[in-house]
Amino acid sequence: MVLVLAIGDLHIPHRAPDLPAKFKSMLVPGKIQHIICTGNLCIKEIHDYLKSLCPSLHITRGEYDEDSRYPETKTITIGQFKIGLCHGHQVVPWGDLDSLAMLQRQLDVDILVTGHTHQFKAYKHEAGVVINPGSATGAYSSITYDVNPSFVLMDIDGLRVVVYVYELIDGEVKVDKIDFKKTPTATI
Amino acid sequence: MSPAAPIEPNKKTLPESSSSAWGELSPERSYRRFGDLRGVQWRIDLGILPSSSSSIDDFRRVTANCRRSYAALRRRLLISPPISRDERHFRDLVMDNPLSQNPDSMWGQFFHKAELERTVDQDLSRLYPEHGSYFQTPERQGVLRRILLLWCIRHPNYGYRQGMHELLAPLLYVLQADLERLSEVRKLYKDYFTDNFDGLSLNVTDLSYNSDLEKDEDNMGIQKDMVKVHHLNELDPKIQTIISFSDAYGAEGELGIVLSEKFIEHDAYSMFDVLMNGDEGAVAMANFFSQFPSPENGLPPVLEASSALYRLLSTVDFSLYTHLVELGVEPQYFALRWLRVLFGREFALADLLVIWDEIFALDNTKLKKEKEVKFNVFNSLRGAFISALAVSMILYLRSSLLATENATSCLQRLLSFPEDVNLRKLLTKAKSLMNLATDALNSVLEPRGHRHSLSSDQAAHASPRGGVRENYWEEQWRVMNKEAEDRKQVGISRQVRNRIRGWSEKVKARLAKVTRSTSPFRRNLVDDQTAHLEENKKLVSGNCSSEQNSNSNSNNNNNNNNNNNNNNNNNNNNNNNNNNNNNNNNNSNNNSNINETGSSVESSSSVIGPEPGPGPGPTVSPSTSISSGLYRSTEDVFSPVPTSNTTQYSSFNEVKNDIITKRPVADLGDEQSSPGKFQWLWRFAKTGPEGSLDKSEAATSSVNESDQKNGLPEAVDRNKFKILAQSMLENIEVVIESAENLSENALEALKELRKIKNLLSER
Repeated sequence: MVLVLAIGDLHIPHRAPDLPAKFKSMLVPGKIQHIICTGNLCIKEIHDYLKSLCPSLHITRGEYDEDSRYPETKTITIGQFKIGLCHGHQVVPWGDLDSLAMLQRQLDVDILVTGHTHQFKAYKHEAGVVINPGSATGAYSSITYDVNPSFVLMDIDGLRVVVYVYELIDGEVKVDKIDFKKTPTATI
Repeated sequence: MSPAAPIEPNKKTLPESSSSAWGELSPERSYRRFGDLRGVQWRIDLGILPSSSSSIDDFRRVTANCRRSYAALRRRLLISPPISRDERHFRDLVMDNPLSQNPDSMWGQFFHKAELERTVDQDLSRLYPEHGSYFQTPERQGVLRRILLLWCIRHPNYGYRQGMHELLAPLLYVLQADLERLSEVRKLYKDYFTDNFDGLSLNVTDLSYNSDLEKDEDNMGIQKDMVKVHHLNELDPKIQTIISFSDAYGAEGELGIVLSEKFIEHDAYSMFDVLMNGDEGAVAMANFFSQFPSPENGLPPVLEASSALYRLLSTVDFSLYTHLVELGVEPQYFALRWLRVLFGREFALADLLVIWDEIFALDNTKLKKEKEVKFNVFNSLRGAFISALAVSMILYLRSSLLATENATSCLQRLLSFPEDVNLRKLLTKAKSLMNLATDALNSVLEPRGHRHSLSSDQAAHASPRGGVRENYWEEQWRVMNKEAEDRKQVGISRQVRNRIRGWSEKVKARLAKVTRSTSPFRRNLVDDQTAHLEENKKLVSGNCSSEQNSNSNSNNNNNNNNNNNNNNNNNNNNNNNNNNNNNNNNNSNNNSNINETGSSVESSSSVIGPEPGPGPGPTVSPSTSISSGLYRSTEDVFSPVPTSNTTQYSSFNEVKNDIITKRPVADLGDEQSSPGKFQWLWRFAKTGPEGSLDKSEAATSSVNESDQKNGLPEAVDRNKFKILAQSMLENIEVVIESAENLSENALEALKELRKIKNLLSER
């Protein structure tokens, strides 16, 4: 029952002024246990805002982040799941599933969260799950046209993770849900 | 599961013999069938179990029923949302996601429950530390927590208040004490506790295989020790009842074992529930926890009760009363705690049990009708006794109270009631005051010189979850949607009486096939607008021909289109709520919802007229984009639309301008109609629901008079049209008046209206 928010690529203030109002009204403190942020916030104020939502905040460095102390990649263990975090601009070709799978194997995680393409994606392949929460502000991107603001909320419950995708389409918040189950690995 | 420190079963019961000493006070209770089984006795007194003279079987049946209802309740309410989600039918994700602000969503309830649990746990950890070995074990805490949570969920208007746990604790204790007694009896009389299945007593020695394994001497030995089953009737009747209470094969089987460890939680819950509700009687403990003023007095019940106490005190001991009043000691300072926990904090647990024996022994039925009595909260024998007891406690401290000269030390004295109290004296005095108490409670005189410093403007906001205050976002959400709801309710209730929905069904059937192809997201949106449309449709339904159907339908949907757009942002959640309820019914319902929306949406497309394809630009809300997508398939249905459309618009327009014409002409100025319609809308918007309703009624009647040639259906249509216009306007008002989404919705509304105007002007 752990709620983990995956969000990123806000590009505030350069490409977007703020989160959409509807998203902001949904993100209230007290409900979310962890926030993982793919990067490109870009300024400290946004970091503080996210911190106010939840004290447990994990960020990796995106190419436009003004704080250079964020790490390039990060691995977090929540419940039974190992979650890997990376911005994604380091993985070339950008958004390519095979390369991301390589990164996932490298980090040895079950769920890999990356961003940079500003487009929501959730893939499942044999090793695990790759999630791209998209851009929470809908900031423009050089590789994606017509960006819809989106973010992802993961509900981790034992060996099962339910991924809720919140997208803002035409002014309306749309929610979709994807279920992933982890096969219990035999521990020796 | 016996606690480490043994509970002393009933050591502190005033011995039966002494009850005769009070004989003049309580003759009817000199024989109490279950004197040493407090749990059972209290359950009888509280009304859960039938009265003492019933048979054992009755007891068992009633017990079993109570337990069943609790078990069902527990199963229903305590399953956490995310786990039980696989079996459930489709739930609208927009409403039901974890971040949803909608407090009625499953996640909202989950978080609310989590809040409640946190509060309850805080209190439970501090419960009765002196009996910690019993109350602080995790199992007991779990039991208490579950009972409290369930009760609070069942009664959301009370929520959880500190003190409820202290009311519950002695009940649980008493039930456990009964079990202790049972195990004592079992030890002493174990021969009688035979496993009496089917009337046969099965002993180990009866099994035949034993003889194979054992030598004959052993067999003989065992048989020698085999006890003879004595007849139950030989025993003391009390022991008899204890034994038959625990018989696993009596009526209702194991569920009916009156003294059962397995069901201690169920029994405690029913006792707690009855104690809080008062069971139709006057004294309901829950009242003392409520902040809301009772309708009769305008005061919260606690204040009412406290003033009752002071009233009684004034009649009994005027000097003490004046002394306290002069010092400014308001009764609720100490009475709050006394009453809310029923003196639980003033006496040690053992003493408390005795006191509660007395309290519960008295009847709780209301003595007089509610209107005649000033203090409803004590309007029963039990209530009178409670107030009398409180006063006698005050009198007990009389000397020390009169001695002090400031309020603080008075309160200190009152709040820390001395440990070694002669309970019997206290109770005797209370009984003697009871008559006075009942008189005082019934009097209607104003209290002399007694002011209430805590004014009744404590009346809290009408939040349905009084216990845990809704967080800010939920309140905002509720406020926003409450306005929308109110207006809708008002509008609908004023609308015309029910018409048959036949025509809408026809439309639905025709459009059934169309809407299947919508994507999930679209379907979400489509569903969003369903309930609103349903309401409007209900208003408008009537026995019309299909042509009229399509006419009114198109108008209906035209307006609905506007409504939808206007309401998108505002009533999204509202509709989702309704929609959720709809979806919960069954799939056909779902389909019909989709169909209805689809129908509205696509007839709006037809209104938008001969503009196929992508239709109205990208800035238009999705409903119209859906409509354009669906346009092609339904073109045939709505062919007669354009003419009648203008017909109706123009006719209405004329009426609006106070011109009663005979026959609206089909080609009556389109250019007139569109700006006219626009004006009409805005004029209606300004006048507000009252004015518009009157006008529409007047318009209706005038139209009806004038419009003979078209026949009745068209007049009916116009009625419907007005009704729709009515609701649409109200919705516009909602939009205008709702703070947050003002600009968005107004802009959208304007866009829509402009679009309609353009289309009409094209014809």
